[in-house]
Amino acid sequence: MTTTETEHPQAGAAGETLAQRASRLFISVPPEAVLLAVLLAMGGWFWNSSEVFMTTINMRNVLLSVSVLGILAAPSTLLLISGNFDLSIASNAAMCGVAVAMVADGHSTALAIFVAVIAGLLAGALNGLLVSGLGIASIIVTLGTFQAYRGIARLMANGQTIRLRGEIDFITDRIVGIPTQVVLFIIITAITMFVVRYTRFGRAVYAIGSNLVAARLAGIRQRPTVFVLFLVSGVMAALAGLILASQLDAASPNAATGDELKVVAAVILGGASLSGGRGTIIGTLLGVLILGVLQNGLTLLSVTSFWRDVATGTVLIAAVGLDRVRVMLGGQ
Amino acid sequence: MEGQPDSGPLRVAGRALRKSFGGIEVLHGVDLEAVGGRVLALLGENGAGKSTAVKILAGDYRRDSGEILVNDQPVVIRSPRDASDLGIRVIYQEFSDAPDLTVSENLSLGNLPRNRLGLVDWAAMRSDAEAILDELGINLDPKAIVGSLRVAERQILEIARALAGDARMLILDEPTSALTIEETQTLFSFIRQLKAQGAAVIYITHRLDEVEEIADDVLVFRDGYVVAEGPRSSFTRHDMAEAMVGAKLDETVANLHADHAEPGQPMLELSGVTIEPFFENVDLTVRSGEIVSLFGRLGCGSMELAESVFGLKRLDSGEMTVAGVEGQVRSPTAAARRGVGFVPVDRKEEGLLTVLSVAENLSVASWSLLTRMGLLSPKASLKVYERWQDRLAIRGTRGARQVVSTLSGGNQQKVVLGRWLERDSKLLVMAEPTRGVDVGARAEIYRVLRGFADEGLAILVVSSDIEEVLRISDRIIVMSRGVVVAEHPAGGVDRARLVREAAASHHEAAATGG
Repeated sequence: MTTTETEHPQAGAAGETLAQRASRLFISVPPEAVLLAVLLAMGGWFWNSSEVFMTTINMRNVLLSVSVLGILAAPSTLLLISGNFDLSIASNAAMCGVAVAMVADGHSTALAIFVAVIAGLLAGALNGLLVSGLGIASIIVTLGTFQAYRGIARLMANGQTIRLRGEIDFITDRIVGIPTQVVLFIIITAITMFVVRYTRFGRAVYAIGSNLVAARLAGIRQRPTVFVLFLVSGVMAALAGLILASQLDAASPNAATGDELKVVAAVILGGASLSGGRGTIIGTLLGVLILGVLQNGLTLLSVTSFWRDVATGTVLIAAVGLDRVRVMLGGQ
Repeated sequence: MEGQPDSGPLRVAGRALRKSFGGIEVLHGVDLEAVGGRVLALLGENGAGKSTAVKILAGDYRRDSGEILVNDQPVVIRSPRDASDLGIRVIYQEFSDAPDLTVSENLSLGNLPRNRLGLVDWAAMRSDAEAILDELGINLDPKAIVGSLRVAERQILEIARALAGDARMLILDEPTSALTIEETQTLFSFIRQLKAQGAAVIYITHRLDEVEEIADDVLVFRDGYVVAEGPRSSFTRHDMAEAMVGAKLDETVANLHADHAEPGQPMLELSGVTIEPFFENVDLTVRSGEIVSLFGRLGCGSMELAESVFGLKRLDSGEMTVAGVEGQVRSPTAAARRGVGFVPVDRKEEGLLTVLSVAENLSVASWSLLTRMGLLSPKASLKVYERWQDRLAIRGTRGARQVVSTLSGGNQQKVVLGRWLERDSKLLVMAEPTRGVDVGARAEIYRVLRGFADEGLAILVVSSDIEEVLRISDRIIVMSRGVVVAEHPAGGVDRARLVREAAASHHEAAATGG
């Protein structure tokens, strides 16, 4: 009887099928590796199907198109890890863009940029106060300000697109051959990565999202942490608004409509958990790139925008589903 | 239900049950049998296999091999539903109720009474609920929202839900861990009533005194095997403990109180502190180097007292001095800064950063101290882990990076404790330090606490576990109904007296303490 007991598990290990071995490998790789594989596979496929895809100009276009999304996704990742949402970022960006265009008409560029950043900061501060001061769920607060900020943008612009006067082109200029907005995207991602890994603030974000009560009992102060996250989110929204306005040389109160959900999609694609405590900046970066490459590649293949939306949604669910399968195979 | 003869007592048996998780066998061919009209106690340390065996009977787990027989007929149990159809009901430690609904809704959950139009019949639901509660002698308001009940009341409700309908076999998994003495007695009388009606009962517990009181038969698990079984009368308490832990018993029994040097400076002084309606006019001093236990039953006020020391509750009146500094503690952050550590009752909900690593859970309270030039290096957390891993005997499978929720209960508790040792706390407040911790880890935690007390840590333990209080305390302070009713030095009191004092009525308590 004792013999059978000891031999039983060993027999299983020796007789492991190829499928079992594959599933074991699948379980053991980090989720970011899966995302990278998806990104490379997609890139390879587009490279193969389109001559234009792997050109410098097109790669630059991909980066240009994802940098706004990426700049917004960095603070959103931190918010989601802490267990919060900011659905108001895109509306906030539009509001700040309109503010820039209005101030730039007649005042200096520097003042316009300053005003926009302050506007974004205040909008973020309002979210933060309502969430960490009053304790209203962030999804409710920012669902409200998502509407309100968009409304304010339209009121300010009187519903019209405002031409951008003055010199805010610096944002579409280049730094050592790379467009400024891409440089900003890279810098912000790098700083966020560093903050998350090497600062008390970054670790506190994870602790709060993992278990709010336990974090509090370990002496971590949740309210200031979450408040600061919303401030950062607001400033990043202002930056996004500036970039969008300078890209078009005009500020539309309808700019970035729907981008808040694209940001959430990228963050979740990157592996952040809706229940908090989990997520990485590198994952979000890959999520942003996957969405950008997918859009770009399908456009090059002349896939209509309707089908592109279907494809984007499918990729999101497939990637999250894949990770779910991984977790289930791993056993609890 | 497949062909069971109605005559003769019910017999539910598992034969040669085996179960593996991730290639590791945790149940090595176990036989067990529960008989109608008898209570079978399953004993064993955490991880011994008793819960796994029971979950197979209940349909929560699929067995790898073996069979389940009801009255010698093989039966198919593939899901909790199948088990329930056979009349097998389980009450787990975690609640499975709907906290936002009322007591009566919970009692008819999944089986709502409906009128002729197919709509919910609220009146019938209410009267059904009243009938069930009456029959079981439970004093709960059917209209109360379940989430607003006390833990013990929810436990009783859970039992009532399991008993509603046609239960023939009831499995209880450590049901009394959150119950007061009276509530435990109420539970035991249900169990006796069920027994009398011919139901089979399986009772999983750590508490040997309960086994002596309620069980007819005993089955002891260790490391996935059944190591002892027989009628309860053939076991002494010592036999049972020995079967559970094997040879490890001797080092774990004696009171750990050593005749060490005199306790040092007072680290906590409370005088005349009151928080209505929890406790009133309590005086208490905990000195450096001593372990003081507040012993009392659920609701005696000791928990709230402990929370006030950590800044979770504000005193209505009275004086508090912590580590020589006068004044109330305003928040957990302030408490940590003043040198107070706190290990909460509910590890999962209040102690652990569940999805984070062991290293981060150990270092979290000290992050402010580990920060250098504004930066908190991940290496600092790893060093914290290395500092404590051996000293606390934290046993995981993947070292510092293991996700803390995948550790066993005992190791999780060591991590929460270690967090405050790393912080270099001067006063440690622990609520129920070893609830849900197996016997082996329990002994280790006691050893660690004593070791740190010897080095000058002041420890205040809030506990309703009499064995624990007797084993670790230098002084035992008994609370009942919000007042201190007695104080004893280590070794100066016996079990019976403590139980009696903790049960002091309001009048007696007021006479002694107020």
